[in-house]
Amino acid sequence: MQKSLQDNLFSDLQTLLGERARDGDFELGLYGKDGSVLEGRPSIVCLPQSTSEVQEIVKICRRYDTPFLARGSGTGLAGGAVPIGEPVIIATAKMNKILEVDLDNRIAWVEPGVLNLDLSNELLPLGFHFAPDPSSQQVCSIGGNVANNSGGPHCLAYGVTSAHIAALEVVLPDGQIAQFGDLTADGAGYDLRGLFVGSEGTMGITTRIAVRLTQNPPEVRTLLLDFADVRDGAAAVSAIIAAGLIPAALEMMDKRAIEIVEAFVNAGYPTEADAVLLVELDGLPGGVEYGVELVRSVATRHHVGNVRVAADEKERALLWKGRKNAFGAVARIKPDYYLHDTVVPRGKLVEVLEKVYRIADAHDLIAINVFHAGDGNLHPILAFDSSEKGVLERVHAAGRAIVTASIEAGGVLSGEHGIGLEKRDYMGMLFSAHDMATQDLVREAFDPDGFANPLKVLPTGSRCSDSFGQHVPDGAWV
Amino acid sequence: MKKTPFDLAIPVEDISSCVSCGLCLPHCPTYRATQEESASPRGRIALMRQAQRDSSIDDAFVGFMDSCIQCRGCETACPAAVPFGSMMEKTREALATQTSYQPRWRRFGYSFLGKPRLLRLGSIGLAVLQRLRMVPRRLPLPKLPFVQKALIDSGSDVWLYTGCIMDAWMRETHLSAQRVIESTGAGVKFPLKGASCCGALHVHAGLAPEARALAKKTMASFPGEAPILVDSAGCGAQLKAYGELVGTEEAEVFSRRVMDVHEWLAERLEQLPTTQEPRPKVVVQDPCHLRHVQKAHESVHQVLEQYVDLIHLNDDGLCCGAGGAYATFHPEVAKEVRERKLSLIRSVEAEEVASANPGCLLHLQAGGVRVRHPLEIIDGLLTRES
Repeated sequence: MQKSLQDNLFSDLQTLLGERARDGDFELGLYGKDGSVLEGRPSIVCLPQSTSEVQEIVKICRRYDTPFLARGSGTGLAGGAVPIGEPVIIATAKMNKILEVDLDNRIAWVEPGVLNLDLSNELLPLGFHFAPDPSSQQVCSIGGNVANNSGGPHCLAYGVTSAHIAALEVVLPDGQIAQFGDLTADGAGYDLRGLFVGSEGTMGITTRIAVRLTQNPPEVRTLLLDFADVRDGAAAVSAIIAAGLIPAALEMMDKRAIEIVEAFVNAGYPTEADAVLLVELDGLPGGVEYGVELVRSVATRHHVGNVRVAADEKERALLWKGRKNAFGAVARIKPDYYLHDTVVPRGKLVEVLEKVYRIADAHDLIAINVFHAGDGNLHPILAFDSSEKGVLERVHAAGRAIVTASIEAGGVLSGEHGIGLEKRDYMGMLFSAHDMATQDLVREAFDPDGFANPLKVLPTGSRCSDSFGQHVPDGAWV
Repeated sequence: MKKTPFDLAIPVEDISSCVSCGLCLPHCPTYRATQEESASPRGRIALMRQAQRDSSIDDAFVGFMDSCIQCRGCETACPAAVPFGSMMEKTREALATQTSYQPRWRRFGYSFLGKPRLLRLGSIGLAVLQRLRMVPRRLPLPKLPFVQKALIDSGSDVWLYTGCIMDAWMRETHLSAQRVIESTGAGVKFPLKGASCCGALHVHAGLAPEARALAKKTMASFPGEAPILVDSAGCGAQLKAYGELVGTEEAEVFSRRVMDVHEWLAERLEQLPTTQEPRPKVVVQDPCHLRHVQKAHESVHQVLEQYVDLIHLNDDGLCCGAGGAYATFHPEVAKEVRERKLSLIRSVEAEEVASANPGCLLHLQAGGVRVRHPLEIIDGLLTRES
């Protein structure tokens, strides 16, 4: 952007936001990254506090022909919030109020910057929670959950974010305000709410969200099953579900994951095991008891070692703390990691896992697996040190091979982290040009000029409106 | 903004150990108060990385580093064990050495802490102003005494560390600690002449050479091998870190002798006297340097539970905003951080708050709640009984 134009844009934003518009060198650098290894740079960072401020920022950006990008807590793993082409960042973190809890309708209206776990903690005395629980739930925002249609361990039984969003107030890419969805069970007409959830900021910015509230189960049991062979663990996963049980959560960790997690939490994870399954059952006491016995007998048929049932809430919380901190704990082995998010049919888990290990070995990398086994959502982590020469090329090559193997097994690109920038150029592996052109038509219905989070989700060049810069940052998969 | 050259030398394995996952953000009091990346541990590490890479900084960078309370709650939250505290101390030290980050008047203020007589004189002056109602009530000051009770040795089983401001302002707490220690049958010895400030505030301010000089004086005041008990969480954390700060074998050995007084008492629960006094309801505030640095907060709970019905706050030990000298230099942020803690405290039914760190105690007290040191609460119950 021209210097004088940029100055005028900034001064208009400053008039609107005061010191909440920022363009300092150091601060811009901070908003160039999310939780992935990708990096870009915004031109300006805005920290709005209301819907009308978001609307005004969008209108000002339009006036200066400048793209914009919404950001929540910046914990995304696919580069969805990484600014490409120097957009203005609209960070919604300061919009963090729970506006209304409406138990009659079993919903709560919240602002997008409310943290996922804060919401559930706030609802605890009322006996409710917000069901989607990504591993980053202590820090990720509800707005980010909406953008990525986030999942989490308990989405196996409860469904992902879209199932828990009743309605949304949205600032559209042209600056208009709209509401998608309402509080009735099934609105008439096209489900624009459903379309918006998971659109990764390409269809506008949500500023108020009506989330559905889920009652806390009367009984919860958490089991830790260890296996001497990771293949037995993976086979047990399919067998548990085939036996007619959908646990609240069904997670798997391999040996390396167990080691790094145990080093952090000291929860007594069995470091000598080849794999563990973390299984949670909830509901009415009788049903939970039945589930525990069923899991035990199925696991026994698959050579389970020890079956540990968490004795109390403290032990249960500690086990989950381990699981939910696994990604960050990778730094105990290597300073960088690349995390994939493919989904494969449950029956192919063993086959694809073995391929993942072989691919990592062939590229001289460390693979760590910690994932939502119940729905076949793999999270292979490639741990590496980016200061090693040439390592990024190997990481990219291995990643591509893992994605290819998953798709060949009948899987898809992403379970819950979104496509963002990271997997944008893999879309062609899964969709035909015709499919992508159709998806692009949908996007253009909301944002014909490509202002909202440009260059994300759909591959570069597939859109006529990809006019904002072609710069792709270091480390991107392009 | 104008850039100035800056030489920051944080070991590469430390600075690259953060994978930017962001799990520290909700556990950072300044992020909680601002929701801004620059006020978060992840953000501050990224800023250090940039400063190190570019070998230059600007005023904004200094402000971002200065806004950290150094509570180290992020270290407890970090799954990758990133040594944030040490990185921040190195950054502050580089700032104090290479820029005007610590102006002369502030250095002069810090030097007071190592001079007990001047500190005492100054405190008497403050006491006079207090009586004349010339000290604003919102300032975190206790009611200062004109005359101090003497500290009298009762044996040599353990040392009781006395410190600087705490001894000048809150000697009653030391006397309570002494009585509770004695109730287990042990004799208490107070430090020899020369002991004063532990240097914690200097380390936080980036004045490491000054802190080292104080550490050497302090170490010389506790000869022998008896355990050194500390009733201030901040000082205890610093004394335990002398090995790292001074870097000698002698300092390592000294640090290993240091215990928070509650750690020592928690090993002797059966020796503590019982009382028929009714158990008051007390809400416990875990000082950050006890919970996140010394990781010894549970010993306070164990000791208190012998005498009171304890209520815990459900906030993962989030900082109260005191942060040593932080509340003095950043009153607005400190107040905002405190408000979160106060609203939690007000939401539970308790007669008073127990805090094992003088800084937190005074800061919370200035927020309008009744706060006492755990050992003052226990001493009060035991004394009433006898």
